[in-house]
Formats: sequence, C-alpha cells, structure tokens
Amino acid sequence: MQDPRLRLLAAAFLSLAAFASTAGAVATLVWWLFFTPRTKALPRPGVLLSLVAMIAATALLSAWGGGPGLSYLIRMTALLLLATWVYAETAEGEVLGVAVWALGNRVGFEIGLIAEMGLTDLAVIRQEIEQMRVAMALKGIRPGVRSIVPLAVTLIVTQIRRADEIARLLMVRGYTIGGRICPRFEADPRDVLASIMAVIPVLLSTLPLRDVFILVG
Amino acid sequence: MRVDLEDLVFSRGSFTLRGSGTFGAGVHLVSGPVGSGKSTLALLLAELLRPGTGAVRRHDVLSALLLLQFPEHHITCPTVAEEVRSWGLAPDDVLLRADLLRRGDDDPFHLSRGELRRLTLACAVMRNPDLLMLDEPFSSLDCVAKREACRMIEGRGAGITIIFSHERAVLPRVDAVWEMEDGALTARGSVPDAIPSWRHAPPYLAYALREGARPENIRLSDAREALCRTRG
Repeated sequence: MQDPRLRLLAAAFLSLAAFASTAGAVATLVWWLFFTPRTKALPRPGVLLSLVAMIAATALLSAWGGGPGLSYLIRMTALLLLATWVYAETAEGEVLGVAVWALGNRVGFEIGLIAEMGLTDLAVIRQEIEQMRVAMALKGIRPGVRSIVPLAVTLIVTQIRRADEIARLLMVRGYTIGGRICPRFEADPRDVLASIMAVIPVLLSTLPLRDVFILVG
Repeated sequence: MRVDLEDLVFSRGSFTLRGSGTFGAGVHLVSGPVGSGKSTLALLLAELLRPGTGAVRRHDVLSALLLLQFPEHHITCPTVAEEVRSWGLAPDDVLLRADLLRRGDDDPFHLSRGELRRLTLACAVMRNPDLLMLDEPFSSLDCVAKREACRMIEGRGAGITIIFSHERAVLPRVDAVWEMEDGALTARGSVPDAIPSWRHAPPYLAYALREGARPENIRLSDAREALCRTRG
C-alpha cells in the first residue's frame, strides 16, 4: 500500500479485529495473504522464528492451564504478521506526515516525532544486538541464559543514553514544541480496495455472527 | 603460523575489495586513507564477512581476535570490571595497564572513547591470541596514549599482529607494510626495504627519504636516527 494514511488505518482496523476474536484474526490472516507482499515483508527467519516461538510457548502454557491457547496463537500470529508488514512498508517520515495530516502541526507533530523516534530506535536496537553478537563471538562467549541479563542491561542503558543525546540535540537546535511540515501522499486505487476490505475482519469480530446467520436462515 | 589471502574479492554496492598475499608472524601495518577498505579487510580476515570469491586461510593459528574500530561496540557488560572479566581476564591487571585503576565499578559508557580504546586494546593484547587484528587502534588516543599503545603492540612476543590504520604520526615498530587504496591491497614488503615504495608514508619518513636518510623502521625515532646518521 502506497498511501501511509490508508496503510495505518487498515493496520488499526485489522489489529482491532485480530485482537478481538479468533474469527477476526483468521479474517486478518486472509487479508494479509491477499493485500501484502507476504513473505517479502517478513524479517529474517531467525528473528521471525524466535518471535513465533515465544508466542507458541505462551500459547502452550495457556492451553496447559486450560486457557484459550489456540485462539491466542492465531490472534498473536495475525498481529505479528501485521506488525512486520507495517514496519517493512513504512518509510522514514511517513508516520510524522500522517500524524501532522491528522492532528496538525502542534499535537500531530509531537506525536509523529515520538513515533518516528520509536521506529528509528527499532532499527538501532537491531543493529546494537548484532554488534553485541559480534562482540560476544570475538570474546568467545556463547549466547545463553547467563549472558542475557548483562546484555539486556547494556542495551537498556544504551537506549537511555541515546534518548538523552537526542533530547539534548533537539534542545541545542532550538526545538520546543510542534513543527511545520506539508506532507504529501500518493494513493493507489488498490489502496482504497484494501482499506475497504480491512473493514470485513472488524465486522466479523464485532458483529454477533450467530444472530446474522439466524436472520439469513 | 601464517594467514593467506587467496585472490580475495568482496563486493558491496559499488565498492569492491581485492587482495592477495601472506601475513606471516610479526607486526604488519595495513595503511591507507579513510574509506579505502581497511575495516572491510579486517572483518574478512576475522571471518566476520564472507568473501564473494577467494578465501582467507589460516595455518597454525589457534586463536584470533579482532579489535573493532569503535571500542563501544565491544561492550557487553554494565561495569568496567565485568567488561574486563567478559574477555576472560583479571580486572586488576588490565585496569592497571589501561591506566584505569579505580574505574572498575564505572559504567563503560561513562568512559571517554579514548579511555575505552585503552581498555579494549589492553584486553585484546593481554588475551594474546595467535592472530591479533587491530582496526584503527590509535584513533581517539592522545599522543601519550598512542605511544603506550605502540609499546603494547611491540611487546607482543609472538604471533601475527595486523594493524589497520590511517595514523601517520605515532606508529609502532613493524615488520611489513601493506597499503590499501580504493579497495586494492598491495604488499609493500618487509621493513626497511618497503619504506621507499610506501605511498602513504608519514611526512617525517618522506622527509627523511628526501634528505637521503634510510630509516631502519617507520617510527619517528627511526627517521630521526637515520637523519642524524646522514648528517653525522
């Protein structure tokens, strides 16, 4: 989807549907199959598999405890695929543009800037994890449970320092509140179709389907 | 003990690195301007990158270590002492050598880049691997610290030490000089024979050569001694 406004709107609808019910999650997965580049938008197999493994482990625990493990697995997998698609498709500055378009140059700019920083940091964190993996390999440390805690602490400290540095940089450049940008968006006719179709999972997850079928019958 | 580069080719975008040659025991200096491909070669030698064609072959090298260009990339622990322990070393010895005594409980990110460079360099040298690769070991260091770094490198008894650096002021005694330019690695040969053909030689060496002196090695003191000999 080219238009970030429609992309984010569709993502919001589909997230709501996938979170609300299993039927909504299944419909979201079907939408994902039809309207996204599918595997091209996925992260590296190692990253994806570790995320799926975490979801599967939680689902197993839930099912073991008598909870809705399978439903959790389907809903969270749908949300994960949706998130990876939106992350892969979103270009730098698009979220800021959408926020300013929706909420104006003051509140919208603030929210958009925070969201942009968050997205940028995801890439930075990924890079830092890779650097730490190299550093551990050079030191001859095998990744394991014992190394997770110091690594996590170092990563958190690094992120806090980075946030502090960015705040100082904004201050030095005279940033106070809000900003002025004129976002431009390019829409594709298929974007509109995909956005309309994204409403279906929401309807499936919110409407009492049994009643609808009774009416039809 | 040696490392062979066999028709190594590595490409990334429009940049292509090519190199062949053998790094034997001793200290090797790979010099060249910023962006010429020195760090990429270091990563290839450390087997952190895979060449497109050709190979890096290690012979009788049981342990290898690369000191990364940015010392903060080595940090994996929340305190300086723990960081030293993560290298498998005793903190007291390393902190003494890095001139960082009483900093053991500090956050490594609170050290300046120069202090961090001293720390990682001391760790790398004291680990004493068969193959030690140092990517820009003198960057962020003041002159005193650079000289101390040179002493550490010269103090390594055996093994292969490869220094990748654009440094042209404070250098250690080396056994061979290599040059990297636009991704092409060229062996200049053993020192002192390699010095006259070294294109990126430090200004003091170039001056000594112009004056007809023949320095024994690449340090400033070598150039000075050679000039003194020439001038009586």
